[in-house]
Amino acid sequence: MVENPYFLKEGRVLKVVKECEGVFTFHIATEEPAEPGQYNMLYAFGAGEAPITIASVGEGYVVHTVRAVGNVTRSIDSLREGDYLYYRGPYGNRWELERAFGKTLLILSGGLGLAATRWVFERAMESPVKRLIHLYGSKDYESLLYKEFYEKWAKGAEFHITLDRPHPEWKGRVGLITELLKELELEKDAVVFMCGPDPMVKACVKTLEEKGIRAENIYASLERHMKCSVGACGHCMIGPYFVCKDGPVFRYDLIREYFERKEV
Amino acid sequence: MEGKGKGKGYAVSHEGLRKLFDLLSSEYELVGPALKEGVISYKVLRSFEELPFGCKSMELAGYYAVEKADGYFTYVRPSNSLKTFLHPPELTIMRVKRENGKLSFEYEYPDKKYCFFDVRACDLSALKVLDMVFLHKNKNPDPYYASLREKVFIVAVNCTNHTNTCFCTTMGTGPEVKEGYDFLITELDGRFLLEEGSERGRRLLESLENKEEARQEDYEEKERRLKKVESSMKRAFETEGLKERLYGRMEESFWEPVGKRCLACTACTQSCPTCFCFDLLERASLDVSERVRVWDSCFSPSFATLHRFNLRQSVHSRYRQWLMHKFAYWLDQFGTFGCVGCGRCISWCPAGIDLREEVKRVAYG
Repeated sequence: MVENPYFLKEGRVLKVVKECEGVFTFHIATEEPAEPGQYNMLYAFGAGEAPITIASVGEGYVVHTVRAVGNVTRSIDSLREGDYLYYRGPYGNRWELERAFGKTLLILSGGLGLAATRWVFERAMESPVKRLIHLYGSKDYESLLYKEFYEKWAKGAEFHITLDRPHPEWKGRVGLITELLKELELEKDAVVFMCGPDPMVKACVKTLEEKGIRAENIYASLERHMKCSVGACGHCMIGPYFVCKDGPVFRYDLIREYFERKEV
Repeated sequence: MEGKGKGKGYAVSHEGLRKLFDLLSSEYELVGPALKEGVISYKVLRSFEELPFGCKSMELAGYYAVEKADGYFTYVRPSNSLKTFLHPPELTIMRVKRENGKLSFEYEYPDKKYCFFDVRACDLSALKVLDMVFLHKNKNPDPYYASLREKVFIVAVNCTNHTNTCFCTTMGTGPEVKEGYDFLITELDGRFLLEEGSERGRRLLESLENKEEARQEDYEEKERRLKKVESSMKRAFETEGLKERLYGRMEESFWEPVGKRCLACTACTQSCPTCFCFDLLERASLDVSERVRVWDSCFSPSFATLHRFNLRQSVHSRYRQWLMHKFAYWLDQFGTFGCVGCGRCISWCPAGIDLREEVKRVAYG
C-alpha cells in the first residue's frame, strides 16, 4: 500500500517570536530534511491546512513565519512554546542557488515574501556567490520582519530596506522596491530570486529587463491556493503547472505567458 | 480461434449473461447502468433485471430522453461516470481527535470490492486517465483511490450504438474496447460474444456452463457492428496539433463568446469522467474533526481564490481553464488528453454548450 500523503506529523513548538501585529515566527522541532524554497502544510484543528514556506532551519528545528489572515493561520498564531504543531511536508521545489555561483545574486523580497527568501539568502552568504544583494520592501515600519538579523545581514551582503510609507522612527529609504531597483548598478548576467505579491513581481521583472537581465535568469516563488500540495486537487494550477509540486519557485520565462495574462 | 480480444472467445445466450452477473455479484459489489427516473445511470445493482436492456438514450446538447430500441446493450455510456465510485463526491480521509492539546489521527481506506459491469470504451479510457492522475503520474499516489481501484473487476462492453453527443472516434478512445478489462461483451444477433482480457476473466468464463467456443463468424459480426457505429460517427475536430493551436489561443477574445453563454453551474465537471479536482473540508465538533474530500470545480467562484480574492473572476476565464486543461495542459501534466469524448458535458449542459463546437471555434475558427 502506498504511503498516505495526508498523514500529519507532530512537532513541538520550541520558540515563538512576535514579528509584528498578527505575525509570529515559530521554531518547530523536526528532523525532516528540507531545501530552501520548499514549504510545509501546517494544520489547525477544526480549521484545515495552510501552505507555509520554510523561512529557515536550525539544529533540529524548522522556522515558519505565519501571518493571521484566515481561520487556519489565526489558530496557528495562537500556539505558544511547548504546544504541538501538526504538519506535512516538505513540499515543492527549491531555489537553484548554484546558478548564481561565481555571479551576482539579487534577491527581491516584498512583505511576507521575505520568509520565502530568507533561508536561501542565509545560504547564499556562505556560498561562492560573487556579489550578493538583497532588496526588501515592506509596506510600513510596523510590518518589518526579522529585525534582529538586519545587522548581521548588512555585514554579509548589500542588504537594503525600503518602506512604502514613512515613519518617524525610520531613517532609511522610503519608496517602492522598483525605485530602489532602478538605481541599482547590476551586472547583466546577474541571477535574480524574488518573492512578493504578484504586482510587485511583474513590476520588478519589467525593471530588471530594462536593465538587460534575461527572464531565464529570474526566478519567482509564487503564491497560489494550494489545498492538497501533491498535484491532485487542481486549485493551484497556473497554465500547465501545479504551483504546489512544479513550483513554488519558477523560472520566469516558463511562466510568463500564464502569470502575466489576466485570470489564468 | 484467437479473437481480436487478448484471450479466448465464447458465445453465450442472454441466460449466460445472467449467470455471469450472478457469479460476479456473489463476490463483488456490482455497479452497472440502470434506468432510474428517466435517466440511465450507474448505480449499485441488486439484480440482472435492473440493466436497462432495450433502452436507448437520445442525447443532444442540453437534451436527454430515453427511448425503446431493439436489442440489449442498445444504450451508450450512462449519465454519470465511474469516477463516482473510485473518487467519490464525498470521502472522509481522516478523523482527527484532540485530547490534552495533542492530536491523534485515524484513517481507513475504503474496502469496497467493485465489479463495474458494462463499461464502454470511452469510460475505460477515462479510468486510464484517472489512473495517471491519481497513481502513475503522481509522485504521491493516492491511497484512497488505489485501494478501490486495485480490486475492481471490469466487464467491458463494445458499443453497437452511439448517441449524438458521443465523439470517441475523435478522441481515439472508441467505440472498440481494446484493453484494460477482465472480459469483454459484444452483442451479436441473438447471442453475445465474450472475450477474455485477464487471468481472472479467463477463470470466470471457464467456469461458465452452457457456452460455445466463438466461431469465426462471431468475430466477423463483431467487426461489422463496430465498423457500422464507427462509420456513423463524424469526426468532430482534428486532435493532431490541437494542443499547440490552443496554446496560441489564450487571448480573452477567443473565450468571451462562450463566457456569455456558460452559467458556471459545474454540471460539465461533475458529469465528466476525468475531472478530478477536489477540495478538502474540515467538519469539526468540539474534540473530533473530520477531514473530508469533496468534488470541486474550476467553474466555482471559490476555486482559485487567493486570500479570499478570486483569481478567475470572469466566467470566460473559468471556461478557458477547463477547456485548456482538458485539451492542452493535461497533455503536459499527464501525457494524455483529459477528454475521452464521452460527450456527457454536452448532454448535461443546461445552456446547451457543445464542447466540440467550442474546440472548433477556438482552435480552428
